Amino acid sequence: MIGLSPEALDRYIVGNDPDTGKPVIDEIINVLTKPVNGKKMAPETPKTEKAKSPQVLLEPDTEDNLQRLFYERGWTDGLPIILPTEERVKKMLAGTCASPDDVVAESFQFATREVVKYSVSSIAVIAVMAGARPEHFPVILAVASTKQSSLMPSTTAFGTMLLVNGPIRNEIGMNCGIGAFSPVNLANSVIGRAWTLMSICWGFAKPRQTLWSSQGNNLIYNNMCVGENEERSVWEPFHVGKGFRADESVISIFRGWGFFNSPGTAAHRSLAEELNIQLTAMPPMNSAATIIMDPLVARNLKENEGFNTKQDYCRHLSQSIKMPAGQYWNTDHIDMLVASQAYKGIEPYASWKKVPDDELIAPYYNPDNINMVVVGGETSPLWKATDYGYSGSASVDKWRAHPAGVECKDGTCGLPDKPADYD
Amino acid sequence: MKKNGKITVLDPRGQPTGIFGRRLNVDSPPFAIHDPVNQPRDTAKALGALKMAPRLDRLEGKTVYLVDTGFAGGADFMAEVQDWFTRHRPDVKTELRHKKTSMFTDEPELWAEIKKNGDAVVFGVGG
Repeated sequence: MIGLSPEALDRYIVGNDPDTGKPVIDEIINVLTKPVNGKKMAPETPKTEKAKSPQVLLEPDTEDNLQRLFYERGWTDGLPIILPTEERVKKMLAGTCASPDDVVAESFQFATREVVKYSVSSIAVIAVMAGARPEHFPVILAVASTKQSSLMPSTTAFGTMLLVNGPIRNEIGMNCGIGAFSPVNLANSVIGRAWTLMSICWGFAKPRQTLWSSQGNNLIYNNMCVGENEERSVWEPFHVGKGFRADESVISIFRGWGFFNSPGTAAHRSLAEELNIQLTAMPPMNSAATIIMDPLVARNLKENEGFNTKQDYCRHLSQSIKMPAGQYWNTDHIDMLVASQAYKGIEPYASWKKVPDDELIAPYYNPDNINMVVVGGETSPLWKATDYGYSGSASVDKWRAHPAGVECKDGTCGLPDKPADYD
Repeated sequence: MKKNGKITVLDPRGQPTGIFGRRLNVDSPPFAIHDPVNQPRDTAKALGALKMAPRLDRLEGKTVYLVDTGFAGGADFMAEVQDWFTRHRPDVKTELRHKKTSMFTDEPELWAEIKKNGDAVVFGVGG
């Protein structure tokens, strides 16, 4: 409807609703004046029933029928799942020291306004479905503990990234190097998948109820689940920058819309100039960006361009990326979601609203909201530029099979395995 | 465990709590609706029935607020809805308002004005 003439808009109003076939204006008037379902609502409060006991086990059935049931009930991502038998869930529960009945997360069911709880056992069912092993379970529990869904109800196509830091990456064989985002690694695949499956089972993927994304986003299949290549990075790990110790295992979540895979290297222009071109195509919300760069890129920035820390480079980007104010404000989602900040007098938005359209502004004004992550196998100095914002971190260690500081009998648990060789 | 070729599996959904949530305050942030931790909880009985807003018997002589939520194109569309009422239903008074804040934030002053002066409200357009 953007930019349509009054005559064209009027045709939408008097024309038929594509869902019902009825004139839109009649539907508007009917909603205001006609009783629901043709009956007056009863004046008294309807009687409520006591919540039913939770159903833990489904009716026994064949494997084929259960696969079909899970799919038809909207409990899968469309792919076959590992059926969550009691035996498999019990094995999964051995991957954590937490009690099966400990509540990890709760979600709010919009249809009934009821709060539904998810215990460690509930999440173990999801982890089995995703194809995870017990050693992956602490990471999956950490993701669940954030209470965040990987799916957003927006009509737009949100994407997410799930980053893992700390010793757990190597202990469970995550891929942080070559092909880290490719579909070649069990841990990366199943952990990311488990997050989406729990989001689906939490009710965030019911089309036209909680899922409205017009096109969807393929990245949600495994949420770009990846480990940071801390061993090959010249900078501190991401989680250390957020206040965690290097020896702590942590998951971090990022979320946004725009995603740019660099097709080539910064051969003829500096990386900052390349990012200026790419990031100005995706004007930021709240100065947010997440750059995922190969270790070669980070090493070049530090050793050849003098950016000793991630923060140094973020400040450089914050100062150097510029765009015309008109380009910023005429971006649809910026106009919808940020303009109100200008109206309320919040800077720098209030000042940006007053300048001419061709005046350059620095949209990434807050370097603290630019995130840098180092991932890759050093075959080419490439990067990914996104407008993803940081959405929080959670400890993995509290969910481990052995609590922090408690060694297993032979003293080997918790020690990192030798990094996998992916060549 | 298979029995007669059939497998028993666990339900992947969580457990109902019988606890229901409601918004903290009129000016609490919108995510308080989505976050069951940061909002008061009640039993279904105490929370009350989920009722639809009562319908008007007629629109003649009534005041209908048309609120543009701020999604792209909505302002022009809601203005055209107002123009339709002016041309075809002059017996209905319409008041067009544009949300000053984002579509996700509360606007208590506008709600108060609508409650005081309006008989019905149409929000548009979702995005």
